[in-house]
Formats: sequence, C-alpha cells, structure tokens
Amino acid sequence: MKKVMTGNEAVAQGVKLSRVQVISAYPITPQTTIVEELSEMCADGRLNAKFLKVESEHSAMASIIASCTAGVRSFTATSSQGLVLMHEMLHWAAGARLPVVMVNVNRALGSPWNIGNEQSDSLSQRDTGWIQLYCENNQEVVDTIPQAYRIAETVKLPVMVVLDAFVLSHTAEPTEIPDQERIDEFLPPFKGDFTLTGRRHQSFNPITSPDYYMEFRYKIQKAMDQAKEVARSVDEDYEGLFRRGYGIMEKYNWDGADTVLVTSGAVTSTSRFVADELAKEGKRVGLLKMKMFRPFPTEAIREVLGGTRKVAVLDRGLSFGQSGFFAQEIRSTFCNEDEQPRIFGFVAGLGGRDVTPEDIRQMISYTLENDRPRHDIIWIGLKQ
Amino acid sequence: MPRALDYTKESEMPSVPVSLGDMKWSKTGSWRYMRPNYEDKTPPCNQACPAGNDVVRFVMLVEEGKTKSGWLKIKEESPFPGVCGRVCFHPCETQCNRGQYDQPVSIHRLERFVADACAHSRSRNLDRWGDRSERVAIIGSGPAGLSCAYHLALLGYHPEVFEALPVPGGILRVGIPEYRLPEGVLNREISDLETLGVKIRTDTKVDKDFFDGGGQEYQAVFIATGAHESQRLGISGEDGPGVIPGLTFLREVRMIQKVRPGKRVAVVGGGNTALDAARSALRLKSQPVIIYRRSQDEMPAFAGEIEEAMEEGIEIEFLTQPVRVIRENGGVAGLECIRMNLGEVDETGRKRPVPIKGSNFTLDVDGILVAIGEAPDARLLPPDVELDWRSLTLQDVSRAESRGVFFGGDLVSPFRTVAHAIGSGKKGAISVDAFLRGDNPLEVLEMTRIGETGGVSMRKYIDTGYRTLSRHVVNFDELNTAYFKPLSKTDRKCLSASSRIRDFREVNRGLIRREARYEAERCFKCGTCNECENCYVFCPDVSILRNMRKLKHEINYDQCKGCGICFTECPRTAISMEEEQR
Repeated sequence: MKKVMTGNEAVAQGVKLSRVQVISAYPITPQTTIVEELSEMCADGRLNAKFLKVESEHSAMASIIASCTAGVRSFTATSSQGLVLMHEMLHWAAGARLPVVMVNVNRALGSPWNIGNEQSDSLSQRDTGWIQLYCENNQEVVDTIPQAYRIAETVKLPVMVVLDAFVLSHTAEPTEIPDQERIDEFLPPFKGDFTLTGRRHQSFNPITSPDYYMEFRYKIQKAMDQAKEVARSVDEDYEGLFRRGYGIMEKYNWDGADTVLVTSGAVTSTSRFVADELAKEGKRVGLLKMKMFRPFPTEAIREVLGGTRKVAVLDRGLSFGQSGFFAQEIRSTFCNEDEQPRIFGFVAGLGGRDVTPEDIRQMISYTLENDRPRHDIIWIGLKQ
Repeated sequence: MPRALDYTKESEMPSVPVSLGDMKWSKTGSWRYMRPNYEDKTPPCNQACPAGNDVVRFVMLVEEGKTKSGWLKIKEESPFPGVCGRVCFHPCETQCNRGQYDQPVSIHRLERFVADACAHSRSRNLDRWGDRSERVAIIGSGPAGLSCAYHLALLGYHPEVFEALPVPGGILRVGIPEYRLPEGVLNREISDLETLGVKIRTDTKVDKDFFDGGGQEYQAVFIATGAHESQRLGISGEDGPGVIPGLTFLREVRMIQKVRPGKRVAVVGGGNTALDAARSALRLKSQPVIIYRRSQDEMPAFAGEIEEAMEEGIEIEFLTQPVRVIRENGGVAGLECIRMNLGEVDETGRKRPVPIKGSNFTLDVDGILVAIGEAPDARLLPPDVELDWRSLTLQDVSRAESRGVFFGGDLVSPFRTVAHAIGSGKKGAISVDAFLRGDNPLEVLEMTRIGETGGVSMRKYIDTGYRTLSRHVVNFDELNTAYFKPLSKTDRKCLSASSRIRDFREVNRGLIRREARYEAERCFKCGTCNECENCYVFCPDVSILRNMRKLKHEINYDQCKGCGICFTECPRTAISMEEEQR
C-alpha cells in the first residue's frame, strides 16, 4: 500500500511493522512526531507495545537497555541534544551487546541553539559501538527499520537509523508500506542469548577484571566486522521479498567517471540531480552514496574508490580541529595504499542551511579544477 | 561462591559477562562507611508543649481515624485535652515546622476534636502502673494539682486533693470565662479523673497547721495553690467600693452569676486576666475600656484573645496609666489617667513606659477592674523560700524536700499558663513517686525530659524504652519537603462578634471529623516514622526489609552499602546516618 507520509510517520510505520514491544522516549524537535504517532498506536491498540514516558533521553535509553535485557524488542528515537545526553548509555547498550534500534533525526547541536539539519549529532557518536545507517528518503526509512532489527539481533549490537531533520522528518512523499505478513517472514521474533526473566537469580554486566575485559571489547570489534557482511545479506533478503534494496553503499552515474562525489542522507537526492545535469553537459562525475557509516566499510571503499583519481567528500558536520567526518574516514582508508585518489573534503549545510545544486556544482568545479585540495576543509557557502 | 572461570580463548567466552547464580554471597554491606538506622527523633511541637504531650503520635492516630486511641495517647500525658484544646496558647503551633512551609498544623483544635469526640471515654482504659499504698496529699485543685493527682493515680496511688472553694478546678473554674471554657467540658474531665480514684475534698482550706496535724499521715505533699493575690494599683482612691481585682470579678461571674461591674468599666492591665475581665463585663452589658500602659506589641495576653476582644468592639486605651480614682459619695466617679511614651528597653525586654507630663485626662467610668498581675499565695511555703511578685525563686517548679513536700503550678512558675501548670503537676507526680521509691527526683525529671528543653513525658517515665528516643529536635531544614504538598490550614469557625457578646456561649467551634483528618494529614510527623515506605521504594540495594507482621521496616546490613538514599528520601528525618564504627 502506498501512502503519502513524512519521514517521521515512516519511522512509526517501520517500528509498527517490526512488532516492537517496548518504546521509551522523550520528545525533542524534530523527533517529536515519531513518538506522538507511536504513543497513539500504543493507545489505540494498533501496536501491541508498552510505551514508557520518561524524564530524559538518558532514562529512555536506560529503560530500553533494561527491556532489551529482558528479551523484548525495544525502540527509542531522539535527536541532537537528546542523543548527546544519552551518550553514556549508548556505550552501555553496545557493551552489553543489546540489539536495540534507535532512530536519530539529524539536527545541529547547541550552542548556539539551532534546530536545523546537520549530521554532527550522530557522527560524533561514532565511537560508541553503534551501527549507523543513513537514509536518503522516506521509503528508505520505512524499509531500513526492519532491516536494522535483523542486523542488530544477528550481530548483537545496537543500530542507529538516521534521517535528516525537516528535509525528511517533516516532508511528506509517497511511500510504500510493506506488507506485514512478509515483514514477519523477514524478521522473526527476537530471542536474546541471555534473558533477564525475574524467575531466577541472574546478573548482567558485572564488574569484569582486566583478565577478560579486553576480550569482550575484541568481540565487539569482531561483531562490527561481521555486521558489514550481515547488513549486505539482510538487504539482499529484503530486496528479494520487496524488490527494494539499498546495499551498504550505492554507486550512481559511475560509468567511466574518474571523479566521484561522496554523499550521505537526503542531500544525495540533490546530488543525483546535479550529476544528471553535469552528464548532459558532458562532464562525467560519479556519485557514491554511503548508507553505512559504522562499521565503516573500509574494504568496499578501497574497492570502489581505489580506481578513481579524485574524490570529493560532502560533509554536513565536522570534528573541530580535524575535518569533516566522512573525509577523515575515507582518507584513513587509503593511507597504506599505493594508488590513492586525491581526497577533497567539503563542509556545507551546517545548522539547517540548504545545500543547493549550485553548492554541489561548486564542489565539483573545485575538484575538477584543482590538482589537489588547498586545505583539509573547503568551506562551501561560508561568508568570508 | 562463584565458580572460578578460566578462559584461555576469547572464542570460548560468552558475548557479555553474565552471572546465572545469585549475588547474595557478595556481602556488599562491607563497603559501607556510613550506616543508616531507623531512629525516631523529637518533633518541635512535642518539645514546645509545656504539658509534655506527644503531639505527633496523637495526630497520627487521628489521621488513621483512630480517634479513641488518639485520646488515650493524649491522656497518657495530660488529664485535660478538652481544656487545653480550648484555652492553651499552643506554643506547639508556634514551633510547628509546617509554619515555615505554609501554616502550622492546627494542633489545639485537633486536641479539642479528640476530646469532644471522646467525651464519653474513660481513663480507666489506660494502663495503671502498679498499686501503691503511700498516701499523698495535694493542696489546690487547679490544673497543676489535678494533673499531679491524675498522674499519681495512673502510677497506682490514691491521692487526696484539698480545695478551699466549694468547687474543684481552681483557675480553670473561677478564672477562665465560660465562653472560652464551658463548664461541661471541665466537669467531664474532672469527673473522669475522679473515676481513677482521686478524692477531691472541696470546701477544705489547708493552712500551715496541716503539716503538724493531719498532714503527717501523708508520706508526700504537693502544693499548688496558684497565684490569686491581685496586685494593687498603688494610687489614691483605690480602696473602697467599685474597684475590684480582676480575678475576684471573674470568680464572682462564675460563682454568683448576677454580677454587674458598672455601666462603663475601666479594666486596667494587658494580660489574659484583663482581657477575660473586659470580655466578661461586655457580656454583662457593661461597656468596658481596657487601659494598658504600653502598646499592643507589648501586651502579654495571647494574640488570639486580643484579636477576639477587638472583634467584639472592646475599646483599648494604649499608652495610658491610671493615676487617681475619682470618688463621689463613696462610689467611683471616674479614673484620672496619664498618657505614656515608650522609652528604653527595660529588664523585662519591653520598652519602658514613661509618663507624658501634663497629659492627664479623666475617663468617665463607674467601675474599675484591676488586672495588673497576681502574686502567689505564700502562706503554705516554708519560711526559707523567698517570694517575689511574680513567682517563687525556686530553680525548678518542683523541689524535693526531705519531708517530701513539692511545689508546682503558678505558685512557683513565672509562666502562668494552664499548659505549664499541667506539666508542673506531672513533674510533681513523677517527683513524688521517685521520692517515695528512694530515687532522686531531679535526676528522674531530667531523664524524662522531652527533647532538649521540653516538658517531661510520663511515657518516658514508665517505659524505659522510650527514654532512648533521640532528644534531637527536628528542624525545618532537615525535612525533605519535596514530599509535602501545600495545604492551607482549616479556617477558624466561631460565633459572630455581635451574637457572642449577648451571653457566655462558647465562642470558638471545633473541627468536624473531615476537617480533623485533613489537619492531621497536614502534619509532617517530624522525626517520626509513619511507615510511608519511601525508604523501601528508593533503596537501590533492596536492603530495606519489610516486616509485614510487625508493620515495621528493618535494614539488611549484609547488603546495605550506606549510600544514604533512604536517609535523604525520608521526608521526616526518621532515619539517621552515622559513621560506621570499625
């Protein structure tokens, strides 16, 4: 069934299809309409789940850590300040190997106060042990949530599904709602390895001595490595059932291109448009959409970008004192390679500023015109 | 104990550390360096009560709907809940911690509610502590004497009370007007006391010969003859008809009924007796005017009494002092007065009134009531005891003499209140009992003191377990007020000023059951565990154990880490934290 819906409604539909049993969330713009819709679903019985009202995002995450430990499929959603307030609990959820799924609606961080779209909130959580999947449109959002649960429950790591504030969250577009029966076929009920039952004495994640702590951390890294392949095959299964697949990354307009623009999230759609225009003008520029950011698909990046000459990376967020997140990660991928593309790191669209086709053209022009970047960060649209 | 694990490869290890056994073997209580424990403390109201009432516990019983038990709780410490619920100046409410939050709990009205609801209950239901054969005489049947008799009766004695007047009650009977304390209430509480075996001999005046004659049959004597000697104005024209001491007037009003003090009567003084005299005169169709030499702030009368008198339209001439009684044909024809100014603070802590030269004026009155203070009646005192105009210069209200003679009430106390008199009678009873048992009364009194500066507790005297209760008085800052919601005090209900001045009907109305429960619920129960279970709910280590049978909580010290959350979350400071002794 196809319906016109916002990105946030698509999230709620994805959660409903995944038969989530516990939802715990604290409202924050631009995530609020997700939990509004979910609470209504819980209230009117469309979704058979317990909805917990909590006093903060920290408690939201803490409570789904508990419900997931009890073997119950659990969900939360947040954004920006809410996500960074959860930071401590994010590490805990990953360390406890709990397959919870959270949606983060990408929003800029204060100070100064800003509710616009930007990726710094989720990207700055890259070291917490969470798998991160970025969505380009509302259809991808609804399709990614059931996939996220399957990946999470397979590798026993939490998954963050990310969509752009307002551009997706509050923008409606026609979206196909997958058939529940086939989702049930795709996503079996959750069963944890160790489950808190209350019927016998158990304790989880007690203090662990230096004798074993390192091994548990090693296992997280191993699960992350495994997640790359798991995500790929889960997406293939999904495509088999629903005729829609996304991969962990996607090449577009690639034929014969030796210059490639790397994007993520909704700005990919704008980039597709620009790449098509340029193709008409005779300039061949490829596009690489990155859906998976954690685990970082190092091998796949080497493989697809290894043969190119120049790579322009569009970052909507940066690590102050270094450079854009994606640019850093792609550069490090090639550090030991004999053949390396030149990596051009662009930062644009912070705090909700639009990234226009002209901005993208400017990045591509810079990349085509310069043999190598003159700075680690090339700011686009900055009032200088 | 856990099985020792010895993994050599990460692949053998589970994904997360999990224990499938219980953790009871891990006695985390050993981490503790602070130890919580349940320790009831002294609420400020209990300490403030001169009669030594256990305010919080009786209020708790009212809240639970156990009015009869509440009555028995008050009756453990005082024979006069109906009296005190009406006439006490309730320092308990002044000290009530709730006063710093919104308004104090209306304790005196709760006490009155309990007394009125249990009008037909009898103290026979109270435990008696032994059966004593020693004979004890009590001289004076005012609140001190009767309180002493009552407590002695509870301690197993059969005391005999001597009263000079034809009716028992002392100041309660002949000093407090009926509109404040109805006759029936007083009769009820006195007759209840008599059912315990207290003998009251009225119309029996005791003089000094008593100790050489019949008095020798008694192993102990408690003397509480009060303060009835009215002070004189010391001005010309004072002697003669038309000038009556305030207390005498009040006594006549109670005993003779048909008294007419004059058409327009001047009442001299600013204490409770002056107020009572003026308001009684008003009810006898006189037109009273109160003359007080300082201003309203310095008036020693209870604030509520002043307010009620003003509601009734009684005129008060502040900063005025009489200088001469003008007489015509032997009767009073006027009172010459002089205006005063307030000067430096004097030894009583109040500003000294200084006459303004030439400000003399005449008040047109035909009667004068003098209520500027009463001195104790010293006739029964041993010669070595000195007396000043306010009270005896005794260190304590009761003193052990080798022959077992003790003093109490207004006779020896500078605090001329019913509550102090009741407390002093109780001290007398404890002193007599201690004396007859060969103990040192002063030491015993100290042991039974409530809080640091309060009255004495009968419960502490008879039940040594109670003596271990902490004397620490809980102050407002120690409460966790997050758990209390603002609730305003129940409105005072009384007869309208215009209707009440027609006769001696009681002015104030009592609380109804619903209001009493509401007021009791307002009580913070400072320092007193009321099983609210906050500790049980909050303990992160599940170390608060419930004992459903005894309705009590205990702390499992094997697992309590001493985090102090129970201590912090206890709304009423009924839990203490002490450093762990190692």
